[in-house]
Amino acid sequence: MFKKRPSRRNFPTKSRRQGNISSDDSAAFRRHRPDYWLLIITFFLMLMGIVVVYSISPGLAAAQGISEHYYVTKQLIALALGLAGFVFFSNLPIAAVKRMTKSLIWLSVLMIGAVQIFGQEANGAYRWVQVGGFSFQVAELVKFALVIWLAGFLVERLNRGEMESTKKTLYPLIIAVMLIGILIAGLESDLGSAGVMIAIIAVMGFSAGLPLKKIGIIVGIITLLATLAIMSTPYRRDRLTTFLNPTADCQAEGYQSCQALIAVGSGGVFGLGLANGVQEYGYLPEAANDSIFAILGEKFGFVGTTIVIGLYGVLFARMRRIIQRTPDLFSRLAVIGIVAWLSVQAVINIGAMIGVLPLKGITLPLVSYGGTSLVFILAAIGLVFQISRYTSYSTLRNVSLKDKEGGTSESSPRRRGQRRPYYAASGNR
Amino acid sequence: MFYGLLILIFAVFIVRLFYVQVIKHEDYKQAALSGQLKQYSIPAERGIIEAYSGNSVVPIVLNEEVYTLFADPVYVADKKAVAEQLSKITGDKAKDYLAKMSKDTRYAVLAKKLDNKKKTAIEKLKFKGVGLRTESIRAYPQGDLAAQLLGFVNDGGQGTYGIEQFMDSQLAGTPGELKAITDIRGVPLVASKDNVLKDPVNGQKIRLTIEIGMQKKVEELLKEHLPTVNSKSGSAIVLDPNNGAIKAIANYPSYNPSRYFDVKDAALFTNPAVSSPLEVGSIMKTLTVATGLNSGAIKVNQTFYDPAQFTVDGYTIHDVAEDGGAQTRSISDILKFSLNSGATWIMMQLGGGQINEKARKLDYDYLTNHYFFGQKTGVEQGYEAPGVVPDPSEGFGLNIKYANMAFGQGLTVTPLQMAAAFAATINGGTYYQPHLVDDGKGAASKIKKQNIISPKISAQLRSLHENSVNTHYTSLIHPGYKIGGKTGTAQIAGSNGKYRTDVFNGTFIGYIGGDKPAYVIMIRINEPHVSYFAGAAAAAPLFKKISDMLIDNFSIPRAD
Repeated sequence: MFKKRPSRRNFPTKSRRQGNISSDDSAAFRRHRPDYWLLIITFFLMLMGIVVVYSISPGLAAAQGISEHYYVTKQLIALALGLAGFVFFSNLPIAAVKRMTKSLIWLSVLMIGAVQIFGQEANGAYRWVQVGGFSFQVAELVKFALVIWLAGFLVERLNRGEMESTKKTLYPLIIAVMLIGILIAGLESDLGSAGVMIAIIAVMGFSAGLPLKKIGIIVGIITLLATLAIMSTPYRRDRLTTFLNPTADCQAEGYQSCQALIAVGSGGVFGLGLANGVQEYGYLPEAANDSIFAILGEKFGFVGTTIVIGLYGVLFARMRRIIQRTPDLFSRLAVIGIVAWLSVQAVINIGAMIGVLPLKGITLPLVSYGGTSLVFILAAIGLVFQISRYTSYSTLRNVSLKDKEGGTSESSPRRRGQRRPYYAASGNR
Repeated sequence: MFYGLLILIFAVFIVRLFYVQVIKHEDYKQAALSGQLKQYSIPAERGIIEAYSGNSVVPIVLNEEVYTLFADPVYVADKKAVAEQLSKITGDKAKDYLAKMSKDTRYAVLAKKLDNKKKTAIEKLKFKGVGLRTESIRAYPQGDLAAQLLGFVNDGGQGTYGIEQFMDSQLAGTPGELKAITDIRGVPLVASKDNVLKDPVNGQKIRLTIEIGMQKKVEELLKEHLPTVNSKSGSAIVLDPNNGAIKAIANYPSYNPSRYFDVKDAALFTNPAVSSPLEVGSIMKTLTVATGLNSGAIKVNQTFYDPAQFTVDGYTIHDVAEDGGAQTRSISDILKFSLNSGATWIMMQLGGGQINEKARKLDYDYLTNHYFFGQKTGVEQGYEAPGVVPDPSEGFGLNIKYANMAFGQGLTVTPLQMAAAFAATINGGTYYQPHLVDDGKGAASKIKKQNIISPKISAQLRSLHENSVNTHYTSLIHPGYKIGGKTGTAQIAGSNGKYRTDVFNGTFIGYIGGDKPAYVIMIRINEPHVSYFAGAAAAAPLFKKISDMLIDNFSIPRAD
């Protein structure tokens, strides 16, 4: 690492130059101080996660007859790997990130294949492969790859003015959705992750100005796939039934929902305290991963849960600020995708824990125990952190974006009365 | 727009959290406790049972820790290897263990009642998902000695039959209570204010009046004696007439209390000496004579003309031919020759010359208020039977019934009731509560009723009984000791309501001692097949064997 130091110093200049390829005017924005709020919020969310995992580690270990520090040790190792990912993507030039697209996609395909061949079975589905003592959740890699690919893909369509083209834009997206449906929702039986991915596609596509009619087609396909997926797998049907009435059958299908609500509710205003939780002692399944929010609610009460939701609110607000001020289209779309990814996951996870959404088996970003999720989310935040170095001083107007960046090719669709790209950033119009 | 939606969702979440965590907090707290708070009972250690062995006291029932081997198949990695290794230690079949672990269960019991050695060996293997649960069971250092007297503790930890049943509450103690927040498997978590702990109160130790050596010997003698008289079952009781302490109760057949679950016929569990009343036959004449003398209806030196038969209520009661027919008889003759007519004559004297309501009521009073028949003695045994004494003033054919009762037919008593009542008539007239538990409070505390007959009459009775032995049952004589007794050949009521003519029960009641009786011995031989009267041929020889054994092995003051 020390040997490479000199070369790392060259990165900024290099990245600036290469970043100019896609957006001419971004050259005007010099590399500046990044948004340290991202770091602070990320730190606090991870801290809450690690503290909770630390406190429930003995309880979980006791039930499984493993070392008391098993969970905390693994989480700390994941954290170290995640920090490496963060540092890497916060420094890797955007152009290099773009160039990674193909490799990421191939890696994803390779890993999906590997999971089917060497994977570990759980709940009748194959979702991870064992990599040197760690289980590698392929869906987490796919989410990251999807954001990078889609940002590049959409920028290309925008630049070529093919946003409304059924053949050039809609078909590839439909193929992507189908692949997600078949590979992630179907083969891996991971409806939660598939949902998050499709949300990413929908939000990014919508932000890039994909005609609503076309989004409608995608949504139609998704609805069809989702219905099939739910009807075909018994345990998903159970989860849906549970969703409609979570506390109807606390002994069987509704067990996790009921126990999660009990954990959250028994926390009260200030919680039972870090050491006084009981639900982690075998009562609440997946206490460290999917159910960690409920444990947090039990230990820290309403105050704790509100702080977590508040932290997410501030995190997404900071990212929104970056979106609003990032002139580079690729970067902007990437951040939009990352916000969609993290926020949808947070909403689905928390919603399930408080009995307003069905259980989906996905992690609470940055807080949940789970190495792969943490590594890729930290890598994604690293990317956002880098992008935050190249923002303008004030909110960019849509006009400037369109005319300056998409100007050459995008002017014509606008003249034809096509919908302009809609960015989450420009919501204040 | 997307961000606005997100903020809205977050706002809804916070409202929902406020509802769940603040408004409905108490409900969820209760729901949590109902799952997490568990109540346990901490078992109390059951009291041990001990008995006398000479001057020392030795345990007769102990507790033993045994271990139940179980597996949680979910955590057993290599079921086949685990099954093989475990079965090697326990001696069971690996195949069975594998089958048990292959079932859809989280608690597969593989083996029960493993000893400490096997437990240690299994623990050394340190198999994941394999556990041992400690269990306390009864152990019997004396083997199957006094099994029916002791009873056993069933799988539910409850004392059944015998002492274990009667003294269950004292032996069991009070289980402790543990209320604690636990993990899902029920393991209590660290101290919490909701935890409650009440220590168990262990059961009391119980000391029996039984003399182990004597019990063992009486059991042996009974077991050896029965085949010689072609009988399948019988009982013998040795009672201390001076305090009511039961020194031995032997029954045959019996069972092994440590393998009570192998017993197929539950009738084996009861103690026939206290739970199986019978018509005792002629030994009842000892009490009829006592009643006659003590009530003043007859005098000990009196003689009377015995026609050898009486007609009561149209039925004729007559003596057996061997008794020699009509002649003048003494009171002593009634016992010596076991005259049914003589016993009937005493009953007539109670009524002033004939059997009437006065006679019946007087006899009934003696039977129930002096000899305590028709009611449980209160001996510390499960399933004690009270026996039946017919009512003196209600029913048909009461006079013939009471005439029959004078020589031991028509009323039922248990061997223990008989022994206790007889003891009272020869010990000076004090009815001691017959008992098996030595509470250390002494003989005075066991007095149930004093002067059930006067000391003078008691002395007269002793000389009558000793005279019978010295002049009639001469085979029972043991020089240097005073021995008195009476045989009984009891008719057995058949299923048609009539007495059977093919079989009888042989009984004997007697005592041995010096200047005062040291032991009362009651013998019951069921349906012996002998060529002479059952009482004399089947029961009396066992009395002889037991009395010889007592004289040889226990300190009985000599008479001379």
